[in-house]
Amino acid sequence: MIKNILGIAFLLLLPTIAFAQSKELKKQLEIKNLVWNENDPYRNVTDVPETWNNESAVFIVKSIKYIYDRPGNSIEYTKIERDRIKLLDQAAVTEYSELKYTEGNVFYREMSRVTNTFFLGIKVIKPDGEEIEIDVNQESVSNNEGKKIAIPSLEKGDIIDYYFYSHTIVGENDLYQYKPVESTIGDNYPIVKFNFSLETEDDFFINFNTYNGAPKLQQIVTPTKKDKKRVYSFEADNVERNDFPRWFYPLVELPSYKFQVLFARSGKYENKAYAFIPEEANMVKTNVSQEEIFNLYEDKFRPYGNLGDVERFLKNKTFATQEEKVKEVFYYIRHAYFTNYVEAFVMDESNIMYPFELYGNNPIIFQKDEEFVRFFTAFLKDNKIDYEIIIGTQRFNGGIKDLLLESNINFILKVNTETPVYIEYFDPFATPNQISPMLENTNAYALKVVKRKSIEDIETIKLPISNYRENNATEKTELTINPDFSGISINRFLTYNGHSKMDEQENIMMYFDYVYEDHTKFETEPILDRVRNKKDKEKYKNEYAALLKKLKEKQQQDVKEKTASEYNLKIDNYSFKILKNGRFGKEDAFEYTEDFTIGNDLIKTAGQNYILDIGKMLGAQVDLSNKEKGRTNNIYMSYPRSFNYNITLNIPAGYTISGLENLVMNVENETGGFISNASVNGDKLTVEIQKFYKHNYEANANWPKMVAFLEAASQFTQAKILLKKV
Amino acid sequence: MRILLIFVLLFAGVCKAQKNSDPTPEEINEAKILKIQYPNDDLVLLESKDYVTFEYNKNKGQVFVKHKLDEEMMNIASRTDIKKHMFYDGQSEISNFGLKYRNKKTAYFHVKDEAFSVEEFFFNDARVKYTLLDFPVQGYKYFFEATKDIFDIKYFTSLYFTDAYPITKKEITLVVPKWLQLEIKEMNFEGYQISKKITFDADQNADIITYSASNLAAVYDEEQSPGPSYIYPHLLILAKSYVHEGEQFTLFNETKDLYKWYKSLVDSMADEPSIFKEKVAELTENAQTDEEKIKNIYYWIQDNIRYIAFEDGLAGFKPDESQNVFKKRYGDCKGMANLTKQMLIAAGFDARLTWLGTKRIAYDYSIPSLSVDNHMICTVFYNGKKIYLDGTEKFNPFGEYAERIQGKQVMIEDGDSYILETVPIVAPEINKETHIFNAKINNNALEGDVSLTYAGESRASFLYAFNNLRTEKKNEALEYFLNRADRNMLVNNIETSDLENRDDQLSINYNLKQENAVSAFDDEIYINLDYYQEYGKWLFNERNTDYEFSHKEYLSSEINLELPEGYKIAELPKGIDVNTKNYKIFVDFELTENILRYKKVFVMKNAVVKKSNFKEWNETIKTLQSIYNQQIILVKD
Repeated sequence: MIKNILGIAFLLLLPTIAFAQSKELKKQLEIKNLVWNENDPYRNVTDVPETWNNESAVFIVKSIKYIYDRPGNSIEYTKIERDRIKLLDQAAVTEYSELKYTEGNVFYREMSRVTNTFFLGIKVIKPDGEEIEIDVNQESVSNNEGKKIAIPSLEKGDIIDYYFYSHTIVGENDLYQYKPVESTIGDNYPIVKFNFSLETEDDFFINFNTYNGAPKLQQIVTPTKKDKKRVYSFEADNVERNDFPRWFYPLVELPSYKFQVLFARSGKYENKAYAFIPEEANMVKTNVSQEEIFNLYEDKFRPYGNLGDVERFLKNKTFATQEEKVKEVFYYIRHAYFTNYVEAFVMDESNIMYPFELYGNNPIIFQKDEEFVRFFTAFLKDNKIDYEIIIGTQRFNGGIKDLLLESNINFILKVNTETPVYIEYFDPFATPNQISPMLENTNAYALKVVKRKSIEDIETIKLPISNYRENNATEKTELTINPDFSGISINRFLTYNGHSKMDEQENIMMYFDYVYEDHTKFETEPILDRVRNKKDKEKYKNEYAALLKKLKEKQQQDVKEKTASEYNLKIDNYSFKILKNGRFGKEDAFEYTEDFTIGNDLIKTAGQNYILDIGKMLGAQVDLSNKEKGRTNNIYMSYPRSFNYNITLNIPAGYTISGLENLVMNVENETGGFISNASVNGDKLTVEIQKFYKHNYEANANWPKMVAFLEAASQFTQAKILLKKV
Repeated sequence: MRILLIFVLLFAGVCKAQKNSDPTPEEINEAKILKIQYPNDDLVLLESKDYVTFEYNKNKGQVFVKHKLDEEMMNIASRTDIKKHMFYDGQSEISNFGLKYRNKKTAYFHVKDEAFSVEEFFFNDARVKYTLLDFPVQGYKYFFEATKDIFDIKYFTSLYFTDAYPITKKEITLVVPKWLQLEIKEMNFEGYQISKKITFDADQNADIITYSASNLAAVYDEEQSPGPSYIYPHLLILAKSYVHEGEQFTLFNETKDLYKWYKSLVDSMADEPSIFKEKVAELTENAQTDEEKIKNIYYWIQDNIRYIAFEDGLAGFKPDESQNVFKKRYGDCKGMANLTKQMLIAAGFDARLTWLGTKRIAYDYSIPSLSVDNHMICTVFYNGKKIYLDGTEKFNPFGEYAERIQGKQVMIEDGDSYILETVPIVAPEINKETHIFNAKINNNALEGDVSLTYAGESRASFLYAFNNLRTEKKNEALEYFLNRADRNMLVNNIETSDLENRDDQLSINYNLKQENAVSAFDDEIYINLDYYQEYGKWLFNERNTDYEFSHKEYLSSEINLELPEGYKIAELPKGIDVNTKNYKIFVDFELTENILRYKKVFVMKNAVVKKSNFKEWNETIKTLQSIYNQQIILVKD
């Protein structure tokens, strides 16, 4: 197993350019002495606490240092990570026996030269104290992706002590925003000492905070007149190994830190920055207030856009309500500036034709969220419809009160029509009033737009939450057993609503399932209709037909595999058909039906009778291990949701059913439930099942209640009935 | 707010299809007919020609091989996108790699040249040239041509007739000059119609040998297949000698020439046993017997030398020096074999390097070619016996041999000469795995004690997997292994033998409660007795090649069910007893007093199910399935 130790992502655009060899070696040596020197307090530490003797490996020290500076005038960034790890078992030796890394490189980004340097140092320390320093330059080999090294002399019981140094020179800039960093303190193995430091010059802006019980950041070096350098740090002792259970948001519960650094040359550039900046460079910003959000976004969301297409669309149309108008315009924009182009991208990628000249000179394509918001608000403004812009943060980031990084922000447009219309997504399936489950029920800030002109106020609001009934999946399954009991023919009819619908639409549908619907609805031309040259058109048509055939075959195959894995059974004679796309409105369901056969996996012979594992038709359920049953974390799920199953078995002629009581269950509590009932009516057995999760979050105290209904559902999959020969 | 601009990124060619490149109605028709013939393939090579010539390279003093390939490719599916590729390595280069449209006009595709990494090697010198090629409609064609130059004839060992795509017409031509003595061995020609024509070309003073075949199916993409040298028709090229300026130079004329070359590589090594002298002393000082000394060294190498291979030029043939492998604690098979040898010599034993081809390779040392072997082990001469030690086999006990080397001929170094021997074939009993479950009915569960034992390769694979788990996960993983991650299987009180011991039988005992195995309907009790149903899904329906097991599996299982008081078995199911050359499958039900004894034995005697036996095998498995499918019914006495 090859371990990728690169915590940061490098953009590899141009091939490596070798530096002057000697200069590089000198720098390498300098870095080495910086990390492994006489003053290194961990130099001779080889023991780990006994409590961790049964771990695979233990970090004796994990030390991370970030440096943001501007020697000369170029903006630079450095990360030095040093890990000293005791490898206690073979798995850990294998894990560290090969390391992969990317060497330095130079590339150009937006006309400016970016230089990356990367150094790696590795030592192996034997139990008797012998230190073996690995000659990385000598031992490493190159392949396409970068370099890799097989660590020599490594055995169980050894310590591997390595550092990596990555340095990036961005070039001269008046304004530069570094990538944000968000991380838990814990790692794959327990850590005896975690050491974090951040060094900058005094004219850089820092946002930094720690969360969930992590130690606070301390300033340990203050800038002086001579030296602009300042250093902040924090340390943590005896950090347990990270464990990520099911339904869990690590950054909400585990000790963690987040930060971002920005350089802006003067006030003018500060205002240009798309970030929350501390008032003074010498302060560390630890959270973001309402006012700051207001100040940042006041300007960014000025309505803007060429509304010509929208005006033409609205011409001669009347709407019963403003709400209807807003929704229809949203669907129009979703088509005109998105689904309208999809075929063109496909044509281009499959080399059938160069399509983009068929769409006029300046087709509108939104590259960023803000562009869509500004465009849509331009329409609202033009039509004198009031709106607010809501700023929220996704649930896995923590609450909005703890907001620190601009990148953790999501926008929602709230249109104040008769009944407010919320607009968040802009994708082929997006519908108004469908907001991300990651924002539901969270606190957010509403930017008040007065008279559709400027943002003049901000207030805290709570975003609505969907209920489990809205987020529903309903399956109607009809089973017909072959006369010789060799297999079962199955028809499923599936209906999805709410958030359950969104996942399913993305999983099942391909672009050709919806773009034609849009072209018809909005009277636009599919791509082939745009091609005027007859000969070309014929050629493209043939090639496109061949492509569609292939894509449709692949789609059938993919959906078949998805269904087979749901039941964990081999299925045959598969076909599926989409009945309703569910793309127009929250209440518009996504529906499809499928037919397939299975073998006799669920039928057992019992003399002249048969036992049917009918519980398996529920599909795979959450099976909790003993460890999971003893969970100590709170439970973070994506959204409240419900599943309804209606299973009908056509009872084979000459047989009766025994064991209906095995199909009856009833567990319901404040967290959710599993309820099933069965009845025989003529030659049909009907099983009605409801399973539901009432909330998107449960406190750990409620976990046993969840376990109760999850176990019931799991037990149901074991339910059997007897088909008894009359 | 979130903007999703996700499109189906399936294709990424750079070339636009040309005018007049579209297929004619005849070609479309041809494609349709071919699709009926090859329903599972998307492309067919209408024609594929290999043209091989030889030259003497004065500068290098080597015979140089030029291998030219011409193909006419046709898309028989609706649309096909492929990576057209060709491999080369440090001993070869590709001098020409190009495509043409059906009208023979050049098609400009961007050709990439990348290092090709395979999991087996940490680093190798294999490279690949490739281009992304799209066939937009059915019947679309390209012509492909490429030339590969092989710098030294010794690395040019075989030519296969088959390809990843079916071939309508295949032709292999070798232009063999009179100054070159070449033996061409025709392998696996049975069942194929391959014709051969030899003409003499006076201008080139060479024999022109042409093989032709038609309608060859694509190579099979099947797991656990025999190596390609067993199944596909191919030519083995044995370069024996050549004459240059009147002087004859021997290549690999006989096996001794092959050995001589291997030996020359070995002789160029400079081993320094002093580096591991102390380690050898430490490993042997407390050993009571010589065998224990050998074991200690052999096991230390298995446990402490990681398999990391560098397949780079001569490193593919020449072992790394023992002191390097010792210091680095990693090496490939040759490095481990050499370290084993040197450490054993340091301990006073007669140990030697040993070359062999693993089970994947069909040939033995009667063929003097580099294609004969792919592995190296160490042979220790001990007590008048030759014992083979393979450091790459983890948890392999002294004196037991992995399936992949059993029955294979080995070439053992013996000064200027060599010894040919065969690795013993072991009986399947060596790998015996036993399961015993003494069960009682407890409501809807079967409950009782289980005892499992493992030996031979079943033990080695268990120990290897277990000892590579993270310590904190080991207990949980063992429980998962025993309960098959199934909520119905409750496992308690696990006791095991030493899970690091590779010599003794491995045993695991535990209590099992198997829930939902018993259902009561009306007055009857139905029991799903067999949870494991070994081999129950093993039907070979669409398979084209023999199925090879990784070792000779031997499983004996007993479930002994105590019947509850007042109940009797409605009908005792019938068993099965099939015993063939390659496998034994035995199932039996027996009632003694109030105990139902359900016994199964599976023996894969030669670790293979032959394609020719698939029909009987499938029938046996279907009978087995119907046994597994039956419930045991208990009725009131």
